[in-house]
Formats: sequence, structure tokens, C-alpha cells
Amino acid sequence: MGVDLDAAPQKPLGGSISLDRAPAPGTLPDQGFFNDLNGELNDKGFLVTSTEELFQWARTGSLWWMTFGLACCAVEMIHVNMPRYDLERFGAAPRASPRQSDVMIVAGTLCNKMAPALRRVYDQMSEPKYVISMGSCANGGGYYHYSYSVVRGCDRVVPVDIYVPGCPPTAEALLYGIMQLQRKIRRIGTVER
Amino acid sequence: MRAPAPRYAANDGVIEHAAAALGDLLVEASDLVGEVSLTVPRERLVDVMTRLRDTPGLEYQQLMEIAGVDYPSRPERFDVVYCLLSLTRNHRIRVRVTTDEEQPVPSVTGIWPVAGWLEREVYDMYGVLFSGNADLRRILTDYGFRGHPFRKDFPLSGYVEMRYSEEEKRVVYQPVSLAQDFRNFDFMSPWEGAEYVLPGDEKAPTPAPAATPPTPKTAEPSTNVAAQPQAKGAQSPVTADQLRKADAEAAEKAKADVDKPKVSEDTGDTGAGKPHPDDGPAPADPDVVPTKGEGQNQ
Amino acid sequence: MSEFLDELEGRTDAADPTSGDAEIQNYTINFGPQHPAAHGVLRLVLELDGEIIERIDPHVGLLHRGTEKLIEYKTYQQALPYFDRLDYCSPMCMEHSYVLAVEKLLDLEVPLRAQYLRVFFAELTRIMNHMLNLGSHVMDVGAMTPNLWLFEIREDCMGFYERASGARMHANYFRVGGVHQDVPLKLLTDISDWLDTRLPRLFEDAISLVAENRIFKQRNVDIAIVSRDDAIRWGFSGPMIRGAGIPWDIRKSQPYDVYDRMEFDVPVGTRGDCYDRFMVRVEEVRQSARIMKQCLAEMPEGPVMTTDRKVGPPKRGEMKRSMEALIHHFKLYTEGYHVPAGEVYVATESPKGEFGVYLVSDGTNKPYRCKIRPTAFSHLQAMDFMSRGHMLADTTAILGALDIVFGECDR
Repeated sequence: MGVDLDAAPQKPLGGSISLDRAPAPGTLPDQGFFNDLNGELNDKGFLVTSTEELFQWARTGSLWWMTFGLACCAVEMIHVNMPRYDLERFGAAPRASPRQSDVMIVAGTLCNKMAPALRRVYDQMSEPKYVISMGSCANGGGYYHYSYSVVRGCDRVVPVDIYVPGCPPTAEALLYGIMQLQRKIRRIGTVER
Repeated sequence: MRAPAPRYAANDGVIEHAAAALGDLLVEASDLVGEVSLTVPRERLVDVMTRLRDTPGLEYQQLMEIAGVDYPSRPERFDVVYCLLSLTRNHRIRVRVTTDEEQPVPSVTGIWPVAGWLEREVYDMYGVLFSGNADLRRILTDYGFRGHPFRKDFPLSGYVEMRYSEEEKRVVYQPVSLAQDFRNFDFMSPWEGAEYVLPGDEKAPTPAPAATPPTPKTAEPSTNVAAQPQAKGAQSPVTADQLRKADAEAAEKAKADVDKPKVSEDTGDTGAGKPHPDDGPAPADPDVVPTKGEGQNQ
Repeated sequence: MSEFLDELEGRTDAADPTSGDAEIQNYTINFGPQHPAAHGVLRLVLELDGEIIERIDPHVGLLHRGTEKLIEYKTYQQALPYFDRLDYCSPMCMEHSYVLAVEKLLDLEVPLRAQYLRVFFAELTRIMNHMLNLGSHVMDVGAMTPNLWLFEIREDCMGFYERASGARMHANYFRVGGVHQDVPLKLLTDISDWLDTRLPRLFEDAISLVAENRIFKQRNVDIAIVSRDDAIRWGFSGPMIRGAGIPWDIRKSQPYDVYDRMEFDVPVGTRGDCYDRFMVRVEEVRQSARIMKQCLAEMPEGPVMTTDRKVGPPKRGEMKRSMEALIHHFKLYTEGYHVPAGEVYVATESPKGEFGVYLVSDGTNKPYRCKIRPTAFSHLQAMDFMSRGHMLADTTAILGALDIVFGECDR
């Protein structure tokens, strides 16, 4: 019998834990779940799960993103990483090298002169790779849509998974976008059969 | 000046001083909207700039900005405007030369090395050539860009746009195609001389050519819609400088009115009949019974 | 052994070169456009002799968005938000130059409270900008912690922005004729508390970690020394020219809004190196806090928007009652106001230096030409001569002390 890492524990202790709502601040983590896990580990010495779930769990829990700030949105992108919003609690850490990163956040206006570089960075990233388009300029040109030197949406250059609206999106909005990306990764199986 | 713009040293005597220093090199000098602007011959620009920098009493040490402006209707269509700043005298001045697409402007990089990039930018945006600039490459636009985007006849959205080509595995340029055209409203009312035909008017029989009043500007039916000059509202009749002077006069007059001493018992002098500026609200009339907010008939 | 002696005494055969005679070529490396220390999208082509920089060719324009062209196609009111997006680290200071330029052309009087509010928020913006710059500067030379602290201050500033204007970054708060809305009293008292307690505590703590730090000094002192003459010839402004020892501050010498009523000191560097520029910015933060406190003490009550109904929009409540107000509102938000023909160059002291707007109006409701004078253009250009002879690793320190933002540099 495999342990579903995402699913709720079989026997909620005390029955007071609601799965829909976030627990109140100060609530202790659900001890029953860990007791079950520990029990199984102590009993058998191993855990069984499907590889797919394991991969997804690993992928969603370590979304290393490219530090690739283009314009204004980059400032909000930095703010997400700073103590107030602390993106790293989601396992998303900034990486400077495309070879080691999983997700690229296109933060800002993508201009014609920059587009080849962006595509090259995207090509250098290793699979599986994801792209978050952040802000209205990256989504579709936004305020600069009619300019002669702006790519009208970064999806003309790289395939985009998540669009975060706003000019610039607040740090919370980007955080929500990253959580949406985690949901998307969980939903879509990436293991080839 | 009523606006809270930066207040630097007064312009008094600057033009005379500059005229004395430049002599016949000064084509035109103006003091508009509180800013001094000198027009000088293009060929002697370096000489002018050196004198402006080195003459005691002028001392414009810093070149802050070179701006290009395009006036397509003029024979020499480009203005190149140099904004100078004097740190010691705390004064700003503008020097202007005109040129066209071919005649180069002498570079001032020998005087101010900062001019290198500023000239490159004007070249990039307007195609103005600078002789003597050793590094006159494009600076802001894309590598291999064609055209000079800030010219008035360059369309806002350009001619090409970029996308990734799956076949060639690289980004490529393709002709621009907009999903929705740039919305450009025309605020001219039809009787102010708008240059378009109102919807429905094209069905009306065109009047005989003899009856048509001679219009100074006829709208050419152009195929390139984006390249047409932008629609704008009507011009305001006064210039900024006239407005400023009128405001200054009004302020002066208002001040004079206040300070005018009383010389007669004339009502214009005493201000009789006018409420005193320090008066509070008018005293309550005892004949008027205030209602309780329920209407007159209660 | 004899060969070795020959070599030592320089009697070696020319046909048989030793390692000292061999031709060594400089090599060229590319830095950016994707580099965490590039502060955006800078591309540097560096020519190196070993690790010594021989020449730097900065390639800019990777964020060229055609702002000036777009402004020519928008009304004066619609063009204002473009200025927020120029230098996105100090949005309101960019707006400041533009609204002052348009007001100069209109010869428009601005209510006193609006002038105070502008100065107040411009100084808050200065703090915000310097937090980003100081933090990234120390991070570029290897320190992590101060950046985390300074960004906490920045986060506070953004909260204040949001409470004043509704936006965390691109405020669009300064308007021609005043500011968009009056601020609630609670916001002012909160900022006052923040200036007294939280800002000095966080800021002084963070700076005390680096200001006298040996490593930080080794990375910055005597790096990229700029003399006074060079600073003038290269068109420096702001902390760059003050770092070089010239006490030039537009707020002081060409006061705009109510800066002439403010009392503040202009910090000046003594050596003109990266460390001086850093410390000038540190001191500017303290002076900005001082100016803000004066604003809070002196700010009068009153309107925050000009009463000239041809420029300032009417209040919402007025519009519900007065037909004329409704018409004014409609005209202002469709056609906009017409600015009389003329041209002005208005420069203000933005946190990065002189930020100027050269505005040419032809009397219509759209600017004929709006040239933006970025601070970064002249500073970045000077990077070539500043870094010559320094090590490759100093590039990030020099770049950090330049304080460059590409939204403004490339426009």
C-alpha cells in the first residue's frame, strides 16, 4: 500500500481539521499524518509511492527559477524573494544559471533586442522547464503594445505556462502565480510511458 | 513664474553677454518661457561651444543633453538642441543648430566626451550625422535595425515585429500585423477643418470644383495608414511664453492694486460696497425664521 | 643551467622565445545581458588583459521600448504613467520632472499642500531607490544580510505608496496641477512613526554591517576614482558628481516645489571612489528622512489640486451636481488639456542624478516632442574610463556604485 503524499490522512485525529480552509495561525501540524508515516517507516523500513507522484512532489517542491529581470516587474520579483514574502518557503530559490533552473519568470517588457537572448536562455534550460510570464508587458505588450521595438507578448518567443496579470503584479500575485504553476505541475503527468 | 519649476539664476543679460562673446556666430537668441535659447550656425558649432564654456561670465561647463527634434515641413528638418548647464553660475541655456538628413553636425566630443553617446542616440533616432564622432554606431535600437524611429514619418509600430520561428529555431522578423489598430482619436470638430470624411458624407454629391473653397491642406489618400501624422486636437491660440507674460502682468497688476494708496474718497479707491476680506459669514436676518429642514409649509 | 643563466641575463636567442617573449593576446568576454549583477539587461563587452580591464564597451538598448515615441501619440495626461515605468526604482521622482515641465508651459500655480506632498513623496522615493541600490551594491560585492534588511524598508515604502496612490510601484500620483488625491491623516502619522523608529533602526543596523567592514572597504575604497574635472566633462550628476567632491544638488541650487523651505545638508565625497558614492547615498537617506520630517511639521491644510478647471479634474461629488463639472471631466479625460506652444527643459534631482525632460509643445493636446534626459546614459558611458586598469571583479562594484536602471537608460 502506497502512501499518498498529497492526500489527507486516512483518520483525521480529533476530526477538527478542515481540508478546505487553512488552519488557524498557531495550529500544530496534523500529528496523525506524521504518526502514520512514522509508523509505516518503523514497521516496514520503507515507503511506497508511485514514481510519478514522487517526481511531482520533488518538482513542485524545488522550483528553482532563473534570475532574469527585464524591467519593472523584476523589482517585484526581487520583493517576492525578500523576507516579507519569502518565496523560498515554497522551495523556489533563485538560480543565476539557466542550466540549473526549472522555471523562468519573464519579468518585464521584452524588447526586440533582448528577444534572442531570452530565447537562448530558454533553450539552455534543462527539461522539464516552465515559463511564467509576469506583468502585462510580458503577457501581451501592455502599455508598450504599439511600440516599434517591443515584442507583443513573450509567448511569441517562448511557450508560456502561467500568465500573471498586473502592471506590475504585486508580489502576492506572483506568489499566487507560482502556486498555480505548482498545481499545474501536479495536474500534468510528465513521465513518458 | 507661478509654476513651481526649478528656479535657477535669472536670465538678465545672458543674451547680451552671449552675443558679445559669440559675435556673428549668433544667428538668433530668444528668452521664452524663462529659458534662454541660442541658434547658431551648424558649421561653427564647436567654436561656439568652446566659447560658451570658456568665456568668463558664461562658463557653461556641463553638457547635460542633446535632443533631436524633427520638423518634416522645414527644408532643414532636424533641430539638434544642446542643453548646457553652468555649475558656477547656476544657469541653464540651450543651443540649437538645424540640419537635414545629409549635412553633418560637427561633433562636440572633443569638448565634452559625454557627447559621444548622446550624439549616437540622436543619430540612431533621427539619422543626423555627426562629423568627428569616432564611434557613430546605433545605440538603442536593435542590432541591424533599419530606419530612424523618432522621425515623424516613421510609424509608431514600425515595419517589422519579432517572433520565434519553429522551423529556423531562432527568432525572426516578420512584417508587422496588429490584431487591433492603434486607436487614435481626432478631437477636431468637423467645422474646425478636420481632414477626414464623416461617415455618410461620402454619399453626398461632391460639389462642383469651382464651388470648393481653396483648402490649404488636402489630405492625400495614403495607403500606409500608420505612417500618417497623428491626429491632434486644435492648437491653443497662445504660446506658453505669451501666457507666462500675461500671467506675470496680471500678477503685477493685482499686486499694484493692493498697494495703491488711497488718494480720494471715490468708491473705486475706498472699496466701499465690497465685502471686507476679513468678514465672516453674513449676519443672520432676524426676519427669516429658519425651518427645521422640513420644507416651508410645515 | 647555462641556458637558464643566459635567459636571466637576456642573452637568449630570438628564434627561441621564452615564455616572457611570447605574444599574449587580450581576450574579450561578454558580460550579460543575463547576469544577476548587471542590474537588469546590461551587456558589457570587456576586453581583458589577464584579469585587468583594458576596455569596456557597454551595449545598451536591450530595454529600448520607444517611450518617447509613444508619448508623442498620447495626451499629456496619458503620457504621465510612462514616467513611472522609466526608472522603476524611483517612480515618483520621474513623474516630478514631467509634471513640473508641463506646469511650466501652462504657467500653472500649484497649491501649497500639493507641493509639500510632492516633496514628501519624492523624498520617500529617494529612500526607496537608495534602499535598492545600496542593497544590491553590497550584494554585488558579497554581502547578503544588509540587502534583506534594506528590502524590508523598501517594502514599508511600497506599503506607503499603496496607501497614498493605490499602487505599490507605479503610482501615477503626481499630476499636472498637484497630486491625484489627498493622503489620509493616519498615513502621515504612520510615516512619521516609521521615520522615528523603524527606518533608523533597520537602516543604521544594516549600514553598520558594511560601512566600516574591512572586506567591503577593500572592495570599494580607491576603486574607480573620478576627479572633479572628469565628473564635469562626463556630465555627471547626483550622487556621482557629489561623490567626486562637487557640492551640486539641484534641490539646493535650483529649488523646485518647496525645497527652498527645507533645511538639509548635501553630502560630498572626498576621494571620488566607489566607497564615497556609497556613503553619499547613505547620508542622503538620512537627509531625506530629515526633509520628510520637516514636511510633516510644516504641511498646511488645503486643496491638493489646482482649481483651474481646464487642467485639474473636478471632484466626483461635484460632477454629480454640476453639469459644467461633468463636461470638464469628460473633456479632460478624452481630449485632455491643451498646452500652449513652447519648449522647456526642466531637470530635477532624481535619486540617481539630474533627470530632465525637454518638452516641445505645439499647442495641441499631445506633446510634439518629449526628450527624456536619463541619468544613467552619461554615467554608464563613463564606465569605460572608470574601470580601466581595474580587475574584472571590480566591475560589479563600479556598476553597483553607478546606480543604473535600464528602464530609464534605454527608455
